[in-house]
Amino acid sequence: MSKILFHFLQQKNKVFLFMLSFFLASFSFAQQKITVSGNVITEKNAPLAGVSVNEKGSASGTATDAQGRFTIQVNKGATLIFSFVDYQPKQVVVNNESDVASISMVPTASSLGEVVVVGYGTQRKRNLTGAISTVDVSKLKDISSANVTRLLVGQAPGVTVKQTTGSPGREFQVTIRGTGSLGAGSAPLYVVDGFPVGTSIGQNLNPDDIKSITILKDAVSTAIYGARGSNGVVLITTKSAREGEVTLTATADYGIQNVPDSRKTKVLNGVEFAQFKKDAFMDKIRYFENREPTIDEVPLDYRYPEQTKYSTNWFNEILNQNAAYQNYNLALASGKGAIHSLVSAGFLNQEGTLINTGYKLYSARANIGGQVNKFITMGLNIDGSYSTQPQANATEGRDQIVGASLIMDPRAPVYNADGTYNNYIGGHDGVFGFYNPVQMLKEAAKNYTNTNAIANAFLEFTFLKNFKFKPSVNAGIYNASYKQFVPSTISGENAPAPRDASENDSYSNRINISTDQLLTFNKDFGDHHLDVLAGYTAQEETTKDLSGSGNQFPDDLVPYLNSAIIKSSGSDEYGWSMQAFFGRLNYSYKGRYLFSGTFRREGSSRFGTKNKWGDFPALSAGWRISDEPFMPKLSWLNDLKIRGSWGMTGNNNIGNYSSLSFMNSSNYVFDNNYVSGRVVSSFANAELGWEKSTQTDVGIDLSALDNHLTFTAEYYDRITSNMLLSIQLPAISGFTSTFGNVGKVQNKGLEFSAGYRQTINAFTVWGNANISFNRNKVLAIRGVNDEIRSGSFYSDFNVSKVGRPIGMIYGFKMMGIFQNQAEIDKWPTQDGAIPGVYKYWDADGNGVISYDNKDMVEIGNPWPKYTWGVTVGADFKNFDLSVIFVGAAHYDNFRNIEASTLNMDGVFNVLEVSKDRFRSEAQPGNGWVATTNTWKWERESNSRYVYDATHTWVKNISLGYTLPKSKLPINNLRVYISADNLFLFTKYPGNNPDVDSRGGINPGFDDEAYPVGRTFSIGANVTF
Amino acid sequence: MKKNILFILSLIICLTEFSCKKDFLSKTDPTRVGANDFYKNEAELGQAVNGVYGQLQGIINNQWLYNELPSDNTTIDFNPGDRGQAPSIEAFEFWTVNSGTGNINSMYVSYYNALYNINNTLAKLNNATTISDSAKAGFKGQLEFLRGYYYFELTQYFGDVILITEPLEVPSKAWDYERAPQAEVYAQIETDLKDAASMLPAKYTIAADIGRITKGAALSLLGKVYLTEKKYTDAVTTLQQVPPLGYSLVPNYADVFDPQKKNGPESIFEVQYQGGNDLGEWSSFIYTFAPRLSAGAITGWPQSNPGGWNIPTNDMISTYEDGDKRKNASIGLDFKSPITGDVVPYIKKYDHPHSIYGRTDDDWPVLRYSDVLLMLAEAINEATGPTSEAEGYLNQVRNRAGLANISGLGKEAFRAKVLHERRVELAFENWRWFDLKRTQTPDQLTQFLNAYGAVEKANPTVTRQGTPYSSGDYVFQSYEVLYPIPSNEILVNAKLTQNDGYQ
Repeated sequence: MSKILFHFLQQKNKVFLFMLSFFLASFSFAQQKITVSGNVITEKNAPLAGVSVNEKGSASGTATDAQGRFTIQVNKGATLIFSFVDYQPKQVVVNNESDVASISMVPTASSLGEVVVVGYGTQRKRNLTGAISTVDVSKLKDISSANVTRLLVGQAPGVTVKQTTGSPGREFQVTIRGTGSLGAGSAPLYVVDGFPVGTSIGQNLNPDDIKSITILKDAVSTAIYGARGSNGVVLITTKSAREGEVTLTATADYGIQNVPDSRKTKVLNGVEFAQFKKDAFMDKIRYFENREPTIDEVPLDYRYPEQTKYSTNWFNEILNQNAAYQNYNLALASGKGAIHSLVSAGFLNQEGTLINTGYKLYSARANIGGQVNKFITMGLNIDGSYSTQPQANATEGRDQIVGASLIMDPRAPVYNADGTYNNYIGGHDGVFGFYNPVQMLKEAAKNYTNTNAIANAFLEFTFLKNFKFKPSVNAGIYNASYKQFVPSTISGENAPAPRDASENDSYSNRINISTDQLLTFNKDFGDHHLDVLAGYTAQEETTKDLSGSGNQFPDDLVPYLNSAIIKSSGSDEYGWSMQAFFGRLNYSYKGRYLFSGTFRREGSSRFGTKNKWGDFPALSAGWRISDEPFMPKLSWLNDLKIRGSWGMTGNNNIGNYSSLSFMNSSNYVFDNNYVSGRVVSSFANAELGWEKSTQTDVGIDLSALDNHLTFTAEYYDRITSNMLLSIQLPAISGFTSTFGNVGKVQNKGLEFSAGYRQTINAFTVWGNANISFNRNKVLAIRGVNDEIRSGSFYSDFNVSKVGRPIGMIYGFKMMGIFQNQAEIDKWPTQDGAIPGVYKYWDADGNGVISYDNKDMVEIGNPWPKYTWGVTVGADFKNFDLSVIFVGAAHYDNFRNIEASTLNMDGVFNVLEVSKDRFRSEAQPGNGWVATTNTWKWERESNSRYVYDATHTWVKNISLGYTLPKSKLPINNLRVYISADNLFLFTKYPGNNPDVDSRGGINPGFDDEAYPVGRTFSIGANVTF
Repeated sequence: MKKNILFILSLIICLTEFSCKKDFLSKTDPTRVGANDFYKNEAELGQAVNGVYGQLQGIINNQWLYNELPSDNTTIDFNPGDRGQAPSIEAFEFWTVNSGTGNINSMYVSYYNALYNINNTLAKLNNATTISDSAKAGFKGQLEFLRGYYYFELTQYFGDVILITEPLEVPSKAWDYERAPQAEVYAQIETDLKDAASMLPAKYTIAADIGRITKGAALSLLGKVYLTEKKYTDAVTTLQQVPPLGYSLVPNYADVFDPQKKNGPESIFEVQYQGGNDLGEWSSFIYTFAPRLSAGAITGWPQSNPGGWNIPTNDMISTYEDGDKRKNASIGLDFKSPITGDVVPYIKKYDHPHSIYGRTDDDWPVLRYSDVLLMLAEAINEATGPTSEAEGYLNQVRNRAGLANISGLGKEAFRAKVLHERRVELAFENWRWFDLKRTQTPDQLTQFLNAYGAVEKANPTVTRQGTPYSSGDYVFQSYEVLYPIPSNEILVNAKLTQNDGYQ
């Protein structure tokens, strides 16, 4: 590979420089004319090629070459006009050559001339009639991100991006224009360099390799992706060489991460916990036996709390403060000559904020391509990556390390006196026993690795002048492995070590291949412009898994299955395929009237035999009012366009074989011999089809104040129907559910975004702001039934009811605490209630608070009234500053962890606020922490655990300094400091208001996830 | 140009080749057998029948909860520290079951799922052409027996139930069904069992078939159905056909439950399990029934964390006559709680040594010859009074237990004696609840259970360590002779009616 690249690099000076230089011989007007040469550069001192240079009031003009150079003959004292798309025009009076020696041009806020990547092609932003957001990745380059999805935070209206966990390397949760589906997932489709990689971008795409991100939101933009378009599409384009440049770029970023005290949950220390246990013990006797206990009755372990020997804050113990973040990238790009190429390599090493966790990514990418001859263009892109993730996915929630560290006995030390681990925490005096979380993180190996290789290649033939034909193939190979060894020294919950050691290994191999054939026709007929695309695509994915587990190891020395005495193994294989024909027609008249239509016919292996193919049409129109002759020429208004679109898209995320029925094993024994038996797994549904979304979108784009200000407003209404839902069946059918296409959900909303950019002398300010309002509503579910409830007792519930938003938080409504028996007697019967117990609302009014769902009601709304993002920046001379704010307002999360951290029966450690609990009518506490005398009603989903999670994040602040040009052989050197997740303003008690551990139709669930750290980093970026 | 076009065309073909296969879009799970292509031949139909048998294990594993725990035979090893099972399991002990009780729903679902597979396999059998008539009849008889058995259980639990004897073509048809009167259900059960009895062999000649349902099983169950319907004459004539089939009582009562002596001469129908290997067919009843804190004291495996469910009551323990050998074979009284020091009794019938933790080899007896003998005694007494034939049947069972003959009782006293004998002979074999329902009117049963409940409440078999009872505990109301239709089912199909007394 490198040999080939080297070869191409040597050809760099041969051809294809966009240079137009002509020297006008001047004989007759030699006296008035002068010839001047100059340079046009960007604000960042980069040469700007292709800039038109014209003399005002004259026909003479030229353009800059690849180095930004130009030479022109003008009348002395004439005005030269420099113009270039996306840049503010500049006028310069020329008296001598020094006037034009260095012309610096500043970009406009609106980038109407910008070319935007759209589905299966590109389009000029000016001519868009769909709802498309682009993310300016260049503004986000200082963010210490280990995942590409981090770059989307706060950048586009209608795009909700949540960091639901602080676990390193993890993908963020991205939702475009609301949760549209009750059963088939709401993640968008990701397309990288034209390759649809699925509804997850995965972990291994190096953020430093990204050139641009485009988000397709409305139907006319996404319908070309057919049955995968309904949740929006994220198009990611990776970097390639810039025309005419040869650069070597190196970046280095080093940071430290911390969990600030303000984001820690406060629980009792050892002495306080012993006191709590003692009081609880005595209060029980006081209440149940109605007498004053003697001190001798109190179990010795907490009889004298002040003598408690140890006090361990387990959460602090598992933190890895000052965790390092390192990211290094090197890219060599050659944009000279016919063939362009770029090779890059990156190494990212993020330690986790929990000990022994982290993420390492090694990545390499190469692309090469260009014009082979007059007819043929080709391109080839290869991406290889390898990542490792220790302790991945084994830290979140009550049942894992983070949650458990809050509730385990604080009276135990981390280490024994001899320095060994204290391997069983608690487990006596009625306190639950736990593993030592520090030991667990250090000694139990849980490692994920991902090895990916992705390749794309295309050829493009130009023929008959206006036609292009572009076949391409994409292939991705994804290998993932997981290895876990829990040695015998690790205790379990209520199961002290030594225990049986266990090993789990798994390996999966996924191969995804797709091919596209695109035929395009592009022509101007006078004022008419026509753009036609016809295409065919096919894609197939196959995954194979192999897994094994072992138990009963002779010792902990060889953590491999070979040494396990009992072993079991399994293998699996699954996959899907799809193919589609599609087309798009864009027509515009004078750039004033714009029309676009797309159509896709798609077939999928996932759908029933009677419903294999679906049609996805979409239409849109735009009207550039500002170009109309009847529009008065307003000096402040540069561009005004209104547009509308309508179309249908689909969602095929229903599992691979949901339409089919299989035979399950149901074996038996005859004559003491095993016999194999089979029973039917489920109903087949040959009519099962895709979920349909119909979306209408109306938007207005305007650009004003010399293009300093841009503004877009958008209204959309998306109705998802034929949802792929499990329909409850009467059990007499044999089964309790089957998959069907039922139900309807509506998401409608408003999005506003504005951009501003203004340069005054050496000072530039810029900003982008967006705000989105989304309302979702279930319009229908099934014929007879009208709600979907998910969850379970001793946990949370969500309910999706007709006429209400999806996944409302559901449970008992807490009305206070019973103060005395008289109050209990007056209240509807709440079985087992004693003074100090949560008092619930008798929702069905039958006089009984029943211990089931009958008295449960909606107790929280997990959907924000609005979400917003603001990015502001300023450049002054060589300094640049940018700040990102994001926020969400008026929504609820369910603090499920409080069912444990406020479990008052003494088996767990509890929140600090428990000191203010109900102890008796005379000592009622703060009115919402229950008694220690009983524990039943409080553990169920109830409104006490629902909290408003309105918040504002100062997500990032970056300050950079670009070194002035010097004699060093350096083209550009920029150093910067950056702070990520800097400040969080919220009243929410959890460590992360964005937590949404379950997502989908179970939103707002907080069981204490991996803490989100704050990162300070410094970095440098050098270009040679 | 032409060349170019040809080149392009060939390229398209080359690139799309992988997607040009005709069946590119038809994919099925390569790791599973598709239901469409199944039931092709005798072997596959046989597997389908085996599958139906396999589902029996799941149903029997939990049957104690519905058939034994609510009765006066068993109670629970109360766990003051963990009230998590209160709504799902303890509700059956304390008679606080409601339509939302999870185990009512799961039981209902498991029966109809098993019935679907029976109905479906029967339908496939009827259309099968590649199977011999004799094999077909054998399969049919076994399936019909199981359908009869399941409907018998269902109608005891719920009264009127939805009667469905065919697989649904499309799921939406499920909404067309409503609950059938119990008489219709019984009629279907009788038809199925008669048909099964006519087709099934008295004994299987091939050893590999031992454990399959026989003619004797069909007749015994049919007799039980007649007895329950109070069709005493039919019960007598049906049950009288059973002894000639060659059954006998084994001399040692404990041998009936010995995994080394499965499918013995007394066994008419038992659900088969197999421990000692990885094949997944093991039972684990003792792990459910042993006292909570007994760890390995009873199971033999120290890592055990037994359930402490289905604990024999004081009432049960004291009901044995002196010298009844069955007491020691049925109940263990040798375990003391490490916390309270009190004896916690446990069921011994399913407690046998086993070589792998958690995997026992114990079968579950469904129909035994002694059950048939006692049913005969009961049926004859009801039909014609306590004849010597009736006494003979009763005394066969008593003698084996080391007890003296009984004679000269009046009809009432004989009825009570038979019921008592059934209680001790068939203790913890999931018949007590139905026996109580069969022999008493709802009002009598209400009185009977509340009397028992008051005693148990005042002096629980296993101490509650001070935890007070809830007010509704051990209060039985006459409507509770039937279980509620699961609320979930009524939610799905509003046409479904609820049993009186339940919400």
